[in-house]
Amino acid sequence: MSIKVRNLTKIFDEIKVLDDISFDVADGETLAVVGFSGSGKSTVLKLICGLIEKDAGEIITSEGDIAMVFQYSALFDSLNVADNISFALRERRDLRNKYSEEDLKEIVSQKLELVGLGGIERKFPSELSGGMQKRVSFARAIVTEPKTILYDEPTAGLDPISSTLIEDYIVRLQQETNASSIVVTHQMSTITRTANRLIMLYNGKIVFEGTPEEMLRADTPYTKQFVTASLEGPMHMVS
Amino acid sequence: MFRAFGNQFTDFVTTLGAIIENGFITLKYIIMGQIERKELMDQCVRFGISSLPITLSIVGMTSIIVTSQVASEMVKQGGGNFVGLLVSILIVREVGAVMSGFAIISMIGSSLASEIATMRVTEQIDAIQVLKVNPIRYLFVPRVLSGIIMMPLLVIIASAFGVITGAVTTTLTTELTYKAYFDSAWIGIYMKDLSVCLLKSVAFGGTIALISCSCGYQASGGAKGVGLATNKAVVWSLVAIVIWDLIFSITFFF
Ligand SMILES: Nc1ncnc2c1ncn2[C@@H]1O[C@H](COP(=O)(O)OP(=O)(O)O)[C@@H](O)[C@H]1O
Ligand SMILES: [Mg+2]
Repeated sequence: MSIKVRNLTKIFDEIKVLDDISFDVADGETLAVVGFSGSGKSTVLKLICGLIEKDAGEIITSEGDIAMVFQYSALFDSLNVADNISFALRERRDLRNKYSEEDLKEIVSQKLELVGLGGIERKFPSELSGGMQKRVSFARAIVTEPKTILYDEPTAGLDPISSTLIEDYIVRLQQETNASSIVVTHQMSTITRTANRLIMLYNGKIVFEGTPEEMLRADTPYTKQFVTASLEGPMHMVS
Repeated sequence: MFRAFGNQFTDFVTTLGAIIENGFITLKYIIMGQIERKELMDQCVRFGISSLPITLSIVGMTSIIVTSQVASEMVKQGGGNFVGLLVSILIVREVGAVMSGFAIISMIGSSLASEIATMRVTEQIDAIQVLKVNPIRYLFVPRVLSGIIMMPLLVIIASAFGVITGAVTTTLTTELTYKAYFDSAWIGIYMKDLSVCLLKSVAFGGTIALISCSCGYQASGGAKGVGLATNKAVVWSLVAIVIWDLIFSITFFF
C-alpha cells in the first residue's frame, strides 16, 4: 500500500477540518479528492507532504520522495525555468554536487520534453501562460523521481483545452513514474479522466468513496448534489 | 478593546519569538559554513550597490545640516579649531551608522520583507520545503550574511563622505580652511570610536536583514499580508536599530 491514511484528524481554530478520516491509495493508483471549497482538501495534501502537523492519526507513505504540485504552480519567480526544475538537485543537501552541469542540463531538458515544453529553459515563469507554468511545476515536482505525487487543483482556473492537456499529462506522469497520486479537484472532467477512485469530503468526513462511474450512478444525496452542482442537498457551503 | 490589545500582545510575542528562533537557525548554518557563494554575492551586490546613493545622500545631508548649524557659531565663540573634531566625532559615533541604518531599512529591509512575504503567500516557500530544501538556509543565510558583510563597508564609505561634506560646508560657511578642518577632524577620529562604529554596523546590518526576512517569512493571506509584513519589518527594524544604539552607547561611552 503506497499511501495509507488512518484516523487522520486536523483541527484549525477549534474546528475539526478533518475528523478521523481513513483511506488508501495503492501503488500506481490515482485517487481524486473532491469536495467544496474549505472542505479540507488542501489540508489533506499538506498533511501528507509534511507541510503541516496532524493532530491525530497516522499517515504512512512508501519509501521515496513525495512531490507536490501547488494550486498556483508556486514557481520561483526569480529563477528561470531550468533553475526551477533543477532546484532540488542543486539545493538539496543529499543531492547537491551529485550532478554535473551537463547532467543537470540533460535532466532538465528531458523533464521539459515529458511535459511537452522543450526549449523554454531560459524563460522566466512570468513569461509563461498559466497552463505552461503548471506543466513546468509538474517537471519541477518529478525531478527527484518521487513515488508519491500530490496535485492541488491542477486544472482550476484553466480554459477547457488547457485542462484537458493537463489531465493528459497527469495520466502520462502516472504511467511514466508509476507513482501513487492524489488529485484534488472540483472538476468532473479531471475526476473521470485521471482518477481510478475518489473520495468526497464534507464537514471533515468522507461522505462518499468509490470509482467515478459509481459516483455518477450512485443514489446518495451527497453525490447527486455534487454531480448536479445543486444548492439543494445535504451539503451547505459555510463560507 | 481588551481583546484587540491582547491580540497585539500575542502578535508581538510571536513575532519576537520567530525573529529569535530564525536568528539562531541562521547563525547555526553560517557557523556550519553552509553558505551558497553565488547567492551570497548576488545579495551583497543588492545590499551594497543599490543602497549606496540613498545612504550617501542621507548621511551627506545630515552632515551639512549639523555642520552649517554649529560651524559658524563655534568660529564666533573662538572654537574654530574644534569644528572638524566635533563633526567627525558626531559622524563616526552616531550619524554615519544610524543614518545608514535608516537608509538600509527603507531600501533593503522593505524589499527583503516584501520579497519573502510574496514567496510565502504564493506558496513558493512551501514549495522549497516540499523539495526538501531548508528555507532558512536557502533564503535567510545569504541575506543576513550580506547585511553583516556589507553594512560596515557602507557605513565606512558613508561616514567618510559625511566628514568630507562637513569640510565643504565648513569652508563655505566660515573662514576656516580645509587644512584647519581636517587637522582637527583627524584628532577626533579615535580607534575606539571606529571599532565601535564597525561593531555597531555589523549589528545593524544583520538585525535589519534578519527582522525583514523573518517578518516576510511569517506573512499570511495574500497581497494584504505582504503589505502588513513589510510594514512590520520597517517598524521593527527602526525600533531595533534604536535599541542597539542605546545598548552600544551604554556599553561603550558611559
Ligand atoms: N493555516 C491555517 N490556519 C487556520 N485555518 C486554516 C489553515 N489552513 C486551512 N484552514 C481552514 O481549514 C479549512 C479547510 O481548508 P483547505 O484545506 O484549504 O480547504 P480546500 O482546499 O478544500 O478548499 C478552511 O476552513 C480553512 O479556512
Ligand atoms: Mg484548496
